[in-house]
Amino acid sequence: MKLLKMIDVSIVAGAVLGIAGVLLAYFGNPVNSGICVSCFMENIAGALQLHNDIRMSYIRPELAGFVLGSFFVATQTGRFHVKGGSSPIIHFLLGFFMIAGCAVFIGCPIKMILRLSAGDLTAVAATLGLIFGVWLGVKYIKGGFVLDRKRELPWINGFIIPLFAVLLLILPVISHSFIRAGQKGPAAWHAPLYVSLLAGLAVGAFAQRSGLCITGGIRNFFLAREKTLLYGVITAFSVALVLNAFLGQFRWGMNAQPASHLSHGWTFLAMVLVGFASILIDGCPFRQLIKAGEGDVDAGITTLGMLYGGALVYLWVIRSTSAGPTFEGKIMVLTGLLFSLVVAMTLRRKL
Amino acid sequence: MDWLDRLSIAAIVAITIITIGMVADREIMKRQQGNSGVEAEQEKSSYALQMEMDNKLYQEVISYKEQGLYPEAMAELKKIMKKYPEKSLSYVYMAQLYLKQGDMGDSIHNYRQAVEMEPDYVDDRTPLFIGDKIKKLVTEGRKKFGREKTLRPKDKEVRKTIDDIYYLQSRLAGGCE
Repeated sequence: MKLLKMIDVSIVAGAVLGIAGVLLAYFGNPVNSGICVSCFMENIAGALQLHNDIRMSYIRPELAGFVLGSFFVATQTGRFHVKGGSSPIIHFLLGFFMIAGCAVFIGCPIKMILRLSAGDLTAVAATLGLIFGVWLGVKYIKGGFVLDRKRELPWINGFIIPLFAVLLLILPVISHSFIRAGQKGPAAWHAPLYVSLLAGLAVGAFAQRSGLCITGGIRNFFLAREKTLLYGVITAFSVALVLNAFLGQFRWGMNAQPASHLSHGWTFLAMVLVGFASILIDGCPFRQLIKAGEGDVDAGITTLGMLYGGALVYLWVIRSTSAGPTFEGKIMVLTGLLFSLVVAMTLRRKL
Repeated sequence: MDWLDRLSIAAIVAITIITIGMVADREIMKRQQGNSGVEAEQEKSSYALQMEMDNKLYQEVISYKEQGLYPEAMAELKKIMKKYPEKSLSYVYMAQLYLKQGDMGDSIHNYRQAVEMEPDYVDDRTPLFIGDKIKKLVTEGRKKFGREKTLRPKDKEVRKTIDDIYYLQSRLAGGCE
């Protein structure tokens, strides 16, 4: 009965994620980017003037909504536990590398699902890469990889990221000079503020209840043939697919897809990095935000690493365009893979 | 709660009020000065200024083009490109001149160069937007070069042009890029 309940929650969370992802694009977010944690991190980094590309500068309320939705539900249900202190610098750097990998693919694992559900076949290589990265991570877990144990921390630590999320919502209202909002490019494409915020809160709340995580679903299946979270992921894809078809947003094909490129090998490798890093720090970029809202300080540090990544992918050109990945992007994917492998190898506890 | 706690709370409240007051004061002053839409206005005038300067720079090219003297216009354009290699508009004019002379492949290639250098050409929220023209060209180009690819599957030029078409179509489709 309890298992059935968890599956139900996971399916509902997946459905909410799929609906929100498609509808946000329908209401104004960039095409196929109704929800994209990496793109939104880049947008927020630009809005905070951490990089100088005005086309990618906008406070995305969805991300603040994810954190706050999770925070509200966690505090109301007694799931808010302030803990951390497990290899913080590794969390920070893997957060950075996850965003670098996402930037080379042009999207996080959620956007990968949304792109696939919109008929973008370039996301197939990304899916295979993500699955392979997760599989590799599971091999290391089975081989004894474990991060050091988290411990209870003073309560104030758990409130910093939710407070930062609140500030992100307030700052654009009170200070136009400090926060930048691009009037062109992807920054100019956004759903109405209240729609974005409500969608973010709803997705955050359901994700907190269910533990929904794209890489977590695949990991649990490889690790123990456990399918609860995977059902949520499959539901998100199926709902987005139907909704995209219904709204006329489905365009089947490999070529001329929005914000995509045909360097499938680098797409694969970039998502291997994202999948692998996600397993090492227990959660995809989306899940890190949800955990940060639950009081997980390490996830909060990962979030800051992702924000730093959002800035550096533009300052150092570690990304892809429709023409393909930049040289810097390729080098960063390889560096990220090297770093992840060294971390995974050195933190194995052999019996 | 001891005296240090009370002092801390008083300091927190005072600093919060002062900070909010300072920010509010500056924002009110800005709005009173009518600066709320300043950035948008500045951007508009910056575009206008740029377009005015471009009109002067490309004056002869435009003149030759209007007279139908395409080789002369191209020669003039190449001089400008040599002197100002960062000017993306040169590629737009080059694309238009190639198209006027019936060379669709080179036209598409030059549009790609222009869009890579200046994404505003495919952004309908900027005054530089020429996405409609590019869209029309790549739609025709896709048909034409699709046929040519069937006839000459190993022709590198055809494949390159198709690659350029896909690039432009991808940029025109939007997305977070």
